[in-house]
Amino acid sequence: MSEPAAPPFAAVEELAAGEPVAVGSSAPAGIPGRARSERIQRAVAYGAMFGISLLFFVPFLWSLSTSFKPLPETANFSLLPHHWTLAGYRAALGDYNFTRYMGNSAVLAAAVTLTSVFLAAVGGYAFARLRFPGRTILFFLVLGTLMIPDQLRLVPIYRMLTVFPLTHWNLVDTYQGYWAIRMVSATALFLMRQYFLTIPRDLEEAAKLDAAGFFKTFWRVMLPLAGPALAAIAILEFQGTWNDFFWANLLLQSPQHWTLPVGLAQFVFTYRTLWNSLMAATMIALAPVVLVYLVFQRYFVAGVASAGVKG
Amino acid sequence: MAIAVPKRRLFGRTRQPGAGREALVGYAFVAVPMAVFVLFFIYPMIYAVYISRFDWGILGPLGKVGWKNYTTLWHDTLFRRAVKNTIEYTVWVVPLQMALGLLLAVIVNQRIRFRTFFRGAFYFPALASSAAITAIAIYLLNVDGLVNKVFGLHKLWFYDPQTALPAITGLNAWTTAGTMMLFYLAALQAIPTDVYEAAAIDGAGPWRQFWKITFPLLKPGHFFVAVVSIIGAMKIFDQAYIVSRGTGGPDYSTYTVVLYIYNTAIKDAQLGLAAAAGVVLFVVIFLFTIVQWAFFGRQEAA
Repeated sequence: MSEPAAPPFAAVEELAAGEPVAVGSSAPAGIPGRARSERIQRAVAYGAMFGISLLFFVPFLWSLSTSFKPLPETANFSLLPHHWTLAGYRAALGDYNFTRYMGNSAVLAAAVTLTSVFLAAVGGYAFARLRFPGRTILFFLVLGTLMIPDQLRLVPIYRMLTVFPLTHWNLVDTYQGYWAIRMVSATALFLMRQYFLTIPRDLEEAAKLDAAGFFKTFWRVMLPLAGPALAAIAILEFQGTWNDFFWANLLLQSPQHWTLPVGLAQFVFTYRTLWNSLMAATMIALAPVVLVYLVFQRYFVAGVASAGVKG
Repeated sequence: MAIAVPKRRLFGRTRQPGAGREALVGYAFVAVPMAVFVLFFIYPMIYAVYISRFDWGILGPLGKVGWKNYTTLWHDTLFRRAVKNTIEYTVWVVPLQMALGLLLAVIVNQRIRFRTFFRGAFYFPALASSAAITAIAIYLLNVDGLVNKVFGLHKLWFYDPQTALPAITGLNAWTTAGTMMLFYLAALQAIPTDVYEAAAIDGAGPWRQFWKITFPLLKPGHFFVAVVSIIGAMKIFDQAYIVSRGTGGPDYSTYTVVLYIYNTAIKDAQLGLAAAAGVVLFVVIFLFTIVQWAFFGRQEAA
């Protein structure tokens, strides 16, 4: 899902922060008729916003409500359940194994996020600050990987993980295989490098006088300054892995390895009409991402916008 | 965002005290990420082309066939159907995403209250996983579902070859609109405000201002969003797979190119043919990427 969508990083971050932005209709005050037309315009905008945001909220609210309905009620045309029940959640988490899928998703998302953030920071620091022969070429190689779509990698990766080169490991249907191919992303490394480039050099110079090693400079000086970039990448990678269907569906084949999206898809295939359980499982899949979004909205939008768009 | 490539010779010798150690540390720091990128990106790309020149079964290569897999694709009615569906989907979803994204961007760019809230609301569907969104769509579009009830219909949206692909189109236009909104917002910010001041003095209303000023000045934005949207659309898989249990049904109406790659590789174990289809898709996507980078890469990167 990482396209090289040349990211308007600064602009988007500013937007996410809710800063005042340039507004198309800002005309100088004092022009006759201005106040009236402004009021009409504003009323239209509010109307449109509420109408359209209903379009964006109702599907989720409807599904949320269904997840608390007993099964026979799910065919009813009512926004709220008549009898509130957790039966859907109990069935999803108990009978249909979503506890297991949730655990798998959490473990994989955590592993990928940790390694990706760390490796992107280390690599990004090296590309931003350390001088070594071939650095430019290697960096272009990193950028080049952004152009390789997952859909091209499907067959060769599947084959490689079936019979790994040289070692002949079979890594299909293992957590390790899934984690290995997502261990670090070019987008994350690129964002880290860009961020490190914005940090003034004086701070490191001071550390160098202290004769701190390169790793110490990185660990003690640079990393603590890179908080916002680390947060944006952590959120990006967490969301990407938690939501990933493409690779999880391809690689994690046996039910005990399924993640939430794969479990959801399989549930749809088998028990399509158990709507309350299906919607409960869907809400479980949505909850962490929504929570992260509400808490870290600013980093979230910045990170997602720089990663491009999902298919 | 600047891709500040250092203006130094690629293999220039820098004989400074500690330079050797710095280089060693540099290599150590990039070693693991570079290994991942080479092993799981660069090598697979070459490997895909290699596999595509073989008749390749589940246990390995059965014989070299040259470019035959590509001619097989050309004549394969299923692949042609997949291409047709993918193009049809792209042709519909791209303008929808763009129009919706622009509408949302213009709305939340107004100086009104709760702007941040609305921006968050419009972006909301883009947060969710494709599986969760598709599950919700299957529920809302089932025969007793909300959509049928609201419009008084009894349609079996995902079971009818006439409506299955359009339903996925609508679903994804809705999901991705928030992302397109972000790109359009960034483009809207780039328009200088004094243009509007002049227009307002000339007595142009908001509607005229939008069509005469905003829309034409957004040209680079339209182009950027269009390319991003096209590339994304050609990769359509998750929704089609989940809606049809991976069959691309009903009646192959949701059979997309990536679904073809997946099924040919995993279900039919024809890895050579699947790899060839992957290469074809890659070439098409790559062309769009090049166009995008040619227009924007330099601008944003230099």
